Amino acid sequence: MTVTSEKLIQDLIERTRININQAENFSSLSAEKLNWKAEKDSWSILQCFEHLNLYGDFYIPEIKKRIESSKTQPKENFKSGVLGNYFAKSMLPKEKLNKMKTFKDKNPIGSKLDKSTIERFILQQKQILNLLDKSREIDLNKTKTAISISKLIKLKIGDTFRVVVYHNERHLTQANKILE
Amino acid sequence: MNPITNFIEKIDQQNLWDNRLELIRKEYLKVKGSIDTNLYFVVSGSLRIYVLEEFEENIIRFGYKNNFIASLDSFISEKPSDLYIQAIKKTELKVIKKKTFMDFVESSAENIKIWHIMLGELIFQQMERERDILTSSPLARYKRVLARSPQLFQEIPNKYIASYLRMTPETLSRIKKS
Repeated sequence: MTVTSEKLIQDLIERTRININQAENFSSLSAEKLNWKAEKDSWSILQCFEHLNLYGDFYIPEIKKRIESSKTQPKENFKSGVLGNYFAKSMLPKEKLNKMKTFKDKNPIGSKLDKSTIERFILQQKQILNLLDKSREIDLNKTKTAISISKLIKLKIGDTFRVVVYHNERHLTQANKILE
Repeated sequence: MNPITNFIEKIDQQNLWDNRLELIRKEYLKVKGSIDTNLYFVVSGSLRIYVLEEFEENIIRFGYKNNFIASLDSFISEKPSDLYIQAIKKTELKVIKKKTFMDFVESSAENIKIWHIMLGELIFQQMERERDILTSSPLARYKRVLARSPQLFQEIPNKYIASYLRMTPETLSRIKKS
């Protein structure tokens, strides 16, 4: 997939705006609704948010670090990497939401959660917006980041951003389904 | 007649609005980093425009009923803007794109004249705002804004007015009481 860097950044900014708005909407619900679970081992709405927060805790500092140390110049186009594209696409919510296995350290079951969980998510989105804006000054292809599941794999930062933002969408869709 | 009212009537008559939007409370019309060259007319409700410094939200401007609101930097430069625009309560907007609006402005000598008046008012408001920021006494800042925009205190909650006036809500309460 090849796209102009600016189009990619604008698209991710707009998706993040929508994610923030959904989160603001959820934060007006009762604690009861936010903590409700369909089954014993399925997630509540707050658990969806906490899961996203745990991912943000890894990716936001990682992306920040790579942007700050990048000595590249912005490039007109972004060409997705094979692995990065695969990860990003697999994150997008599909028609029928497929279940994915969650890594143990990112499993929110058992954590103590409340409305501040959603506030934390919103704050993280604002940090992501900062980083997306800063990324206009670097090469999204040449700058690479690590990923949370393996120290051996590096993705192009353009793909990392896609993975994070699409992943947020995925779980917000899941949270919306819980409401139904 | 108020130049804004003049324009609104004409835009209504000529059916030039590109869109109508409804925002729920706390919904973001715009976030940092996006390009937004639209002009929004507030039919009902209220919004705040702010920048985020580290973790501090600094309110630059408000929009409420019968105001035009925009990310003016982006409207002019057509480049990304840092501004956040958020609905304070349920808000209804009419939207006109920059191209539609500028074509409308340039469609008659009268419209161009009115646009110049609006721009002049905008510049004047910016100068007033600049003086606000440079005024060190909180009481003096409060008095300046109260004098030029009494409506503000009817439309916007205190905590946001306090942020705009660059004081704590407690200081604002104290000033209002005395």
